Amino acid sequence: MIQLFHVKKVYPGDPPVLDDITLRVQKGEFIWLTGPSGAGKSTLLRLLFCAEKPTSGRILIGGKNLGRLSQSGVPYLRRNLGIVFQDFKLLDNRTVLENVGYALEVLGASDAEIRERARKRLEQVGLSHKAGSLPRRLSGGEQQRVAIARALVNEPTILLADEPTGNLDPSLTDSILQLLFDANARGTTVVVATHDRTLLQRWHRRTVGLERGKVVFDA
Amino acid sequence: MIAHVVWRLWRRAAVNLWRARLPSLVSVFTIGLALFIGASFVLGLFTARTLLTSWGAQDNITLYLDPQTTESQALALSQQIQARGDLEVQYVDPAAALRRLRSDLGELASALDGLTRNPLPPSLEVKPRVPLAVPAVRVLAAELGQLGGVRDVEYGREWLDKLEALGRGLRAFGAGALLAVIGAALLVVANTIRLAVYARRDEIEIMKLVGATDRYVRAPFLMEGALQGLLGAAIAVGAVFAAQQWLLPRATQAFVYATGIGPPHLLPLHAAALLAGGALVGLVGSWIAVARFLKI
Repeated sequence: MIQLFHVKKVYPGDPPVLDDITLRVQKGEFIWLTGPSGAGKSTLLRLLFCAEKPTSGRILIGGKNLGRLSQSGVPYLRRNLGIVFQDFKLLDNRTVLENVGYALEVLGASDAEIRERARKRLEQVGLSHKAGSLPRRLSGGEQQRVAIARALVNEPTILLADEPTGNLDPSLTDSILQLLFDANARGTTVVVATHDRTLLQRWHRRTVGLERGKVVFDA
Repeated sequence: MIAHVVWRLWRRAAVNLWRARLPSLVSVFTIGLALFIGASFVLGLFTARTLLTSWGAQDNITLYLDPQTTESQALALSQQIQARGDLEVQYVDPAAALRRLRSDLGELASALDGLTRNPLPPSLEVKPRVPLAVPAVRVLAAELGQLGGVRDVEYGREWLDKLEALGRGLRAFGAGALLAVIGAALLVVANTIRLAVYARRDEIEIMKLVGATDRYVRAPFLMEGALQGLLGAAIAVGAVFAAQQWLLPRATQAFVYATGIGPPHLLPLHAAALLAGGALVGLVGSWIAVARFLKI
């Protein structure tokens, strides 16, 4: 599903952020991407959703070579990806339902279809009663659940999450991760970047360790 | 694009305009002012052209005939010219010309007493029935100069040249001023939309992350620009109509007295062109602003 071959990312004047990364993630797999801050986890995810291009090396997603993808092809790739961020990235002036439906709006879905599918996702994350609220009225955990609902509303084949529990109280971590495990159980390939080692110890999944831009373990 | 998506984008553009009321209003009024000034310039130019045309045509063309021309020959030539249908012709015999000269000279007329014979030739005074533009007067004078028996043609050439130069100058100045005003309006719209884009950069980032194409991200901003331009143009049209309604009636009488015709008015077609122009200015302004911000 995701393949990286000798991927390198260098910003001029700095040491490589990613150095000779070769990695293969199978369809339907769940992997932890871990390492200290600055190890290159977020950069790796940014390469996967085409926010940046590698300096060298090759990345394939679903057999598609991202290096050959034109700028106009990027949106169509992203429609098959769900992306979750540490800071949620919700729109403050839109309701929870509108935030979740946003990903469907850009696909040209009708208003009725958007409402129906967004409601269904909100139910899955246990927030259907907050559909009309604005995000700032929600707790951090609830906001992240909205962000996950938005990431999943398109039924993406891959879900990328960058420190999804980084801003949350530890007591909320389990419920958030459970949503990601549920998506994985439904067949979505999930890649979660985290520096929190306790998560890896509690939930044993394949773990790829990064340090100074290199893969230091894969187990 | 599908109709409901287009409708959704328009709705969003209108909501966004409403949310950023103050900068949008500034932009709308600036476009309105620019187009009002522009439209006034154009109407002013039309007015100036009408005036120049009418003044230019008021100078009669005088055809000086050979001194040997008899009255019957002169009258035959007069009828030949009148047969064209677009000109009035008056025959002035040498005696009448001398009387007119005496009266024009006033106290100095006694200087003519020493003349042993009348030196003035017979002439025909030709006047177009419909006011002609300066170049047309020149062509007509050349045509009449070719007629048999005509020795010289006088039509205030220097005066007409000056009028023509003035007309050219006005046109050039008007076009330059119009460009400057529209350029200023473009910059204001571009700045307003740039601020809007900056204020909504998070939204743009999220749109792009969930798979929106550049065209989809750009569309609401372009629509906002077009709406601002359209509203501004509506204000300009309203202002020009209002000026016509309340200010022009007083000026019209003076204008009619000076030129013999009414001043130009903003027609529905002009108003439509102004609205389309406003929308275009808004559209281009926002295009300039958005183009730089889409690299996410």
